[in-house]
Amino acid sequence: MRFSDADGRKVVSTSSAETVGKLDGFVVDPQQRRIVAVEVKKTDSGDTLMWSAIVGFGADAVTVTDAHAITELSEEVAALAGKDHHLKGKRILSNAGDELGPVDDVEFDPESGQVQALITGEQDIAGERLIGIGSYAVVVRAG
Amino acid sequence: MSRLMRTSELAKRPVVTMAGEDVAQIKDVVFAAGGGEVGGFTLAGRGLFSGPASHALPWSQVAALGADAVMIDDESVLGSQESVLDASAARGGSGGDVMGSQALTDSGVDLGKVVDVIIEISGTRDGRCDVIGYEIEASEALGTKGTRVLIPLPDTLAASGDHLMVPAAARDFVSDDLAGFGAAVQAFRAHLSEAR
Repeated sequence: MRFSDADGRKVVSTSSAETVGKLDGFVVDPQQRRIVAVEVKKTDSGDTLMWSAIVGFGADAVTVTDAHAITELSEEVAALAGKDHHLKGKRILSNAGDELGPVDDVEFDPESGQVQALITGEQDIAGERLIGIGSYAVVVRAG
Repeated sequence: MSRLMRTSELAKRPVVTMAGEDVAQIKDVVFAAGGGEVGGFTLAGRGLFSGPASHALPWSQVAALGADAVMIDDESVLGSQESVLDASAARGGSGGDVMGSQALTDSGVDLGKVVDVIIEISGTRDGRCDVIGYEIEASEALGTKGTRVLIPLPDTLAASGDHLMVPAAARDFVSDDLAGFGAAVQAFRAHLSEAR
């Protein structure tokens, strides 16, 4: 699945069957190369949904047991969240100091949250090459 | 894999950590070993309100120097400007500012005015960043007056503020662009060691 497919997807509670929010971004831990949480808007509680609290990441909706799964930003992910750490649109820099292009999209595994590839133009950069995500660039191992 | 670059291209190149943060940008190149090597860089801050940052980056802490950025492990590798300048001075000094110097052969022919310094990055961490040549604005002696050409340098060189001394044979190994320059430098150095 890609970020562009998943963005804006509704978050539905399995206990109340109500829409409790709308997916608005991803929090990726570059060390684990994995999505650790998603950012959610239009909620009553907070704006962060931990990946571990997601019941299902389906083709049409993201499901949670109830609205309480969506919380305020926890300390655990605060250092990884926010615009400075978003992947999409950011320049990709190899650890050799060469720009490879902007992140057009990100391929991920909806089961595990693992980042499988960064997509820039015609090129796919394997997720395992990810080193860091900062305000200036996404750093990847030179291919 | 080695790589050739003009030092003029390095100014303002961002210094980026492996975490993706641009913590500074290159201000100036600090030469060491009498001008034969790059000892490090002095840095400027990034952004609108960046004053003159008094930080510097020794070459030993550069993880990679690429076409678009200088990569470092993290911000902690930046040193004070004094430490990098002193360390470079201890290793034979900067060799003076060669920009604008007259490139003079040991037989007394003026080849032209130095307008840029060409470096070769043969490796980082334990590797070196050697000065391997200069870009000069050719004089009449080269028959292409006014054009910019690259002349190779031997391993060691002599430079004052006014002159840069090059072996007379250097004029036989002039190139027009960086693509063929690496080979020209090697051929030139091989020629010099044979002559010895």
